[in-house]
Amino acid sequence: MTSDPDVVVDVRDVCKDFPVGMGFRKKRVLDGISFQVRKGEIFGFVGPNGAGKTTTLKILMGLIRPTEGGAQILGHDVSETGFREHIGFLPENPYFYDYLTGREFLRFYAELCGVPRGERRGRIATLLEWVGLENAGDARLRTYSKGMLQRIGLAQALVHDPEVVFLDEPMSGLDPMGRVEIRDLILRLRADGKTVFMNTHILPDVEMVCDRVAIIVKGKIRYEGQIETFLKSGEERPTQVVLARVPVELAPKIEEDFESEVRGFQDRIEVRVAEKDVGALLWLALGAGADVISVTPQRASLESIFLNAVEEVGQ
Amino acid sequence: MNSFRRIRAIAVNTVLEAIRHRVLYALLFFALILIGGGMLLATLSYVERERILQDLGLASIRLFGVAIALFVGVGLIHKEVDRRTIYTILSKPVSRTHFLIGKYLGLVATLWLQVVIMAAAFVGVSLLAGAPLDSGHAAAIGLIAVELALVVSVAVLFSSFTTPMLASLFTVGIYIVGHLSRDLRELGRQSDADSVRYVTEFLYRVFPDLESFNLSIQAVHGLTITSREVGFPVAYAACYAALLLLVASWVFSRRDFR
Ligand SMILES: Nc1ncnc2c1ncn2[C@@H]1O[C@H](COP(=O)(O)OP(=O)(O)O)[C@@H](O)[C@H]1O
Ligand SMILES: [Mg+2]
Repeated sequence: MTSDPDVVVDVRDVCKDFPVGMGFRKKRVLDGISFQVRKGEIFGFVGPNGAGKTTTLKILMGLIRPTEGGAQILGHDVSETGFREHIGFLPENPYFYDYLTGREFLRFYAELCGVPRGERRGRIATLLEWVGLENAGDARLRTYSKGMLQRIGLAQALVHDPEVVFLDEPMSGLDPMGRVEIRDLILRLRADGKTVFMNTHILPDVEMVCDRVAIIVKGKIRYEGQIETFLKSGEERPTQVVLARVPVELAPKIEEDFESEVRGFQDRIEVRVAEKDVGALLWLALGAGADVISVTPQRASLESIFLNAVEEVGQ
Repeated sequence: MNSFRRIRAIAVNTVLEAIRHRVLYALLFFALILIGGGMLLATLSYVERERILQDLGLASIRLFGVAIALFVGVGLIHKEVDRRTIYTILSKPVSRTHFLIGKYLGLVATLWLQVVIMAAAFVGVSLLAGAPLDSGHAAAIGLIAVELALVVSVAVLFSSFTTPMLASLFTVGIYIVGHLSRDLRELGRQSDADSVRYVTEFLYRVFPDLESFNLSIQAVHGLTITSREVGFPVAYAACYAALLLLVASWVFSRRDFR
């Protein structure tokens, strides 16, 4: 298909039909999707629930076969097994062998991946520390919390130091702390030069970590590229600014200068301005003796893109 | 070499999973009760005390062996798929055939471990009761172990494509037909209808001839057991199980893990 060494994952015109009911009828779950993941990036495969993200990932992992089309990872067809020593995978809502301890669990996967016996112990210790489970390594997995399972799952995906890591909804179902932990680990993976492919339906996660995205809705790719480009130019992005102790004469001036509506409540006001005007607004407000309470970028864009895309497909 | 290591890792993990499972201990517990209970039953009888004791012992080993084979054979394969642990395994450089072979070997090792424990109980009870023990008993128990390896390959085959419920039913069905197929053929041969003879002959050829693994009578009655009576079933089981695993691996490799 492609010979570009920078292309790590190459999906070409993949369709997948699932049988419905008794299996006589078919439902097209993936409808001719194509995209590429490049070396060293965090690639977000983004879409609402039921869009086909997990199905795509299962095709990449060789767990299901595409009805049409094909996919390559590191230049190998996904039906091969040998190249899998260069990839790691964390499934959606992973369940693991709960009768094993964290350390036994990682040792099992290290053996499967052919990590030499002499290196195993050190590698496992490093990983446990890396995911912050060095004190839980000898506890059975059944005693682990959801966040700990997600982290040991990540360690499992990395046990053989793979080049590419595939994560299915790595942050869903976690509390805010757990999400931050996983997010930081993903960012560290990129810093280590790994390529990360990540499925998610959580928009803030996408914006926080992904370099590039493909957006899938109802089995079709709606967009592939930089998120920034996709979120329109950042300049135009609306930002909400809340100010307090605002002198009376300031509010009308703001309305005039920034051509934006000012809403007041008690001694506070709320203004919406374009991102490029935020600096000027703050300068003016602080100069007039007001306090700045909050500056919040209004990034609902991906959400609305989902909705727009859903509407388009629906038509 | 690498494949060997991977298969071994899966097999070891399967044994670990089995021996950390409570149900297995429950089954083993009842098996030991039954084997030991033979002593009590045997005391009730004045004739052939030792034979009753050993008959019951061997039958218990077979019965609970098959129950455990069914439980682990169907249960542990299906659990990997159901709980999706198989996703991470197959995302490693492990082919589905490796997975199935590793799983199979782990299941056989687990079963043989159980047989060893039950056999130890059998020997203990026999010694206590002063019943004779010789190589015939070893051959009988050995062939039970071999039969279990065959039965679990049937369980693995069905588990490779169907639900645990159906896989258990089919396996039990094959087990029963397998034990009857020899008698059925004898009955068929005495029948006048060609069709009956044809069907019973067919059953005998297709289903495993499990009665050939049953040396209990010879062992308990101290009859001589020829090397052919042991060697043939062992070779038969090896070929049969290999064939079933081949089919299972073919089916499993084509399966979508939706
Ligand atoms: N085992 C299955 N059998 C039939 N349909 C399925 C199965 N798994 C998923 N689907 C359907 O395929 C579509 C895509 O599912 P999935 O890839 O899991 O979506 P996502 O991961 O984006 O939430 C959904 O409409 C879902 O109903
Ligand atoms: Mg999903």
